Amino acid sequence: MDLHTIQIIHYVALAVMMVVYAIRILWFLSFPAGRERQPPTGTGSVNSKAGIIYSWLNVASPKGMESYRTHWFLYLQFVVFHLGVVAAITMSFVIADFSILMNNAAVVLTFRVLIWGACAVGVMRIIRRFTDKYVRAISSPDDYFSVILLTVWFGVAAAAAPFGVPSLQAEGSTLLIIYFAVQTFFLLYVPFSKISHYLYYPFTRYYLGKSLGRRGVFPLKHTAGQPTTAGADR
Amino acid sequence: MSEHTGRSHKAQMVLERYQKKLSRQVVGSLVACVHCGNCTDSCHYVLANPGDPTYAPAYKADRIRKLFKKHFDWTGKVFPWWVKAGDVMTDEDLEELKDTVFGKCTNCRRCTFNCPMGVDLATFNRMARCLLVSVGIMPEGVAVVSKDQWEIGNQMGVLKEDYLDTLDWMSEEVSEELDDPAAVIPVDKMDAEIVYTINPREVKYDPRTIADALKIFHAAGENWTMPSEGWDMTNFGLFSGDDDLGGVVARRVYDKVIDLRGKKLVISECGHGYRSTRCEGPNWAKFDIPFEMESSVDTMLRYIREGRIKVDKTKNPDKVTFHDSCNNARSCGLTEPPRELLELVCMDFQEMYPNREDNYCCTGGGGAMSMSEYTPRRLKSAKIKADQLKATGAKTVVTSCHNCVDGLADCIRHYKLGMGVTQLVTLVANALVWDEMPAAPGKPEIPEGVPAEMEPEVALDPDPEEASASEEPPLAGKRIVVADDDPDQVIYLKSVLSDAGAEIIEAADGDETLEACRKELPDMLTLDLEMPGTPTKDVFARLRDELPELRICIVTGRPELRALIYDQDLRRPEGYLDKPITEESLLRNVRKVLETS
Repeated sequence: MDLHTIQIIHYVALAVMMVVYAIRILWFLSFPAGRERQPPTGTGSVNSKAGIIYSWLNVASPKGMESYRTHWFLYLQFVVFHLGVVAAITMSFVIADFSILMNNAAVVLTFRVLIWGACAVGVMRIIRRFTDKYVRAISSPDDYFSVILLTVWFGVAAAAAPFGVPSLQAEGSTLLIIYFAVQTFFLLYVPFSKISHYLYYPFTRYYLGKSLGRRGVFPLKHTAGQPTTAGADR
Repeated sequence: MSEHTGRSHKAQMVLERYQKKLSRQVVGSLVACVHCGNCTDSCHYVLANPGDPTYAPAYKADRIRKLFKKHFDWTGKVFPWWVKAGDVMTDEDLEELKDTVFGKCTNCRRCTFNCPMGVDLATFNRMARCLLVSVGIMPEGVAVVSKDQWEIGNQMGVLKEDYLDTLDWMSEEVSEELDDPAAVIPVDKMDAEIVYTINPREVKYDPRTIADALKIFHAAGENWTMPSEGWDMTNFGLFSGDDDLGGVVARRVYDKVIDLRGKKLVISECGHGYRSTRCEGPNWAKFDIPFEMESSVDTMLRYIREGRIKVDKTKNPDKVTFHDSCNNARSCGLTEPPRELLELVCMDFQEMYPNREDNYCCTGGGGAMSMSEYTPRRLKSAKIKADQLKATGAKTVVTSCHNCVDGLADCIRHYKLGMGVTQLVTLVANALVWDEMPAAPGKPEIPEGVPAEMEPEVALDPDPEEASASEEPPLAGKRIVVADDDPDQVIYLKSVLSDAGAEIIEAADGDETLEACRKELPDMLTLDLEMPGTPTKDVFARLRDELPELRICIVTGRPELRALIYDQDLRRPEGYLDKPITEESLLRNVRKVLETS
């Protein structure tokens, strides 16, 4: 199989993933949305709309969550890992359709740094999933497989990145084919695994933010400067 | 047993009802968990049970989630082992689920706030409780309380005549104290600005909070009323997960406000009551509320801001800290008004850490106080709360929740913290300044007839030693039987009460108590609920029969035993005190009991 063929297959896999996602969203929307009848509590900047926005952006504000405020290294891992996902996916489209961009050394370096960083975090996450008693207790085969799959994908992508330059594609075709093959599998597997969590993120946080915004809880007040954990955000 | 599925009848019913309970909010939380483990140490059960992953929020959530995966989710239907999908087949499986959803989670919602995905375990844990309750699988306490709320109309089974008697009693007390016949509770008054609803615990165990509210409303010149029915703003539907019960109970309150043409419903200090009535009730009852609702905390704060009542914070000089109720803070956003109020009515307010939406549960939430089978587990998890309380160095913890009062009192007693627990209404009432009344002789600006506990203890008394030397001790001439099998407790009670001028007769068991009361004919008895000899409930019944004039104050470290006394068809005790007891609380309550006619 040559690079061109696997790139076409990769696009087919992407299309399949999109179709499955669309079905998945329709399935999700088939459940009734509970209606909030209580009169709004919040005033001024505290309302449903503000609550929804706060809820969506909450993940970008580690100060807003004790679990990240007190475990900043886990938050850093989270950021690096997800930037790596974006980089690895973007790189595949750049190589397939805009490979001229790969002539820019800074672009390649950016991809490599982000993806190698994510790969390192992936290794840490694998270790944590196998060794942390609490995480192990909640892990399913899908959890183990997903993090291993992503870490392998990162490793292959980072290794293939230098060969994304048009003039080097022939030399690194084997690595590039493996990269696209892994990504193809990844795209087909994602909708059926927990990796598809990002599909639900906007909905889950929307409903939580809507309800808590209406009740005057979100946006959390302590982010406006009032400490809730001794010393943690002073 | 179902022939087709091999499941027990109850297990089959649970699964059939599961689907009907699925909303987008619930499904979102069921599908979005990535098992990252971030929620783990947000749970007080986990922190108090290191090394036991079965308390981890995600682990507990998976006991409920596995059913969803098995029966509703694609991958779980085809490859259940791959995503740990699972089933319930027998009643034993349901009992296991009961142990998790009732016994290992107080629905405090702390994990929700620490989940990057916004997974709301408390919401679907409540759903799981509902499914189990619908097939009769629940802790006995939940069944009893739910039954009372369905059948009698309030969760403690308080009869209408007892409720109205208590309101009369409090009216008499306050009007005598203030020497003002207008200082009474208006019942079923039409077109009032405020309809005030309470927790039945106030009627049954702590009526002084009703008296305190009366003083505040009276001082504010409020046009208010309390309803003769639909007065219980608590709602066990929140804890049992039963939306039908929740809707019916909430509707009782709303309908009564409408009947009375009340302008605003004010909900006394109770976390789950406020959440149920203010936030969830309209959803459960599918009813759009045509009047305003607010917490009494907001009401009291408004009165001070508007100058309708005046307060003197020097009347509450001791260091206090504040415990945020989970329902108030994480589900209703009621975090700042209580703090503003505390700053206005207390000299020394010490913040507890963590606080607001990061505060830990009192460990009595989610109906845990009614589930005695889980008490050891609850008290073990209370270690986290105990550490929090201890670190403040405060003498008293204030909370805006009756459930938390009991949970905290249990925690304080179990970990021997020696703190008192009180509510804002008591502190505000204590800080009231009655400046339109004439000053009593020898004391600046203190009106005659104002209760002793309202008098300034620090700032306004120029020479406390001189003043106390010239006054008769407050309990002079009173004879009190102190009945307790704990010698340390007897010594403590005896020393405090003797110093206040009372003559003390000791009794160490039920038989000695009966004998002492018959022989000495005291003015009052402080009665421990757990003593050897004749059972306390029988002691109480016999004394009510033989010595109807004797005033009895229950003093106990085991609030769950209160039912032994209060469920009897007898006149209720004149007083009730939770151990540990502060000196101030003991003297105030004993004086109140002795003043009761």
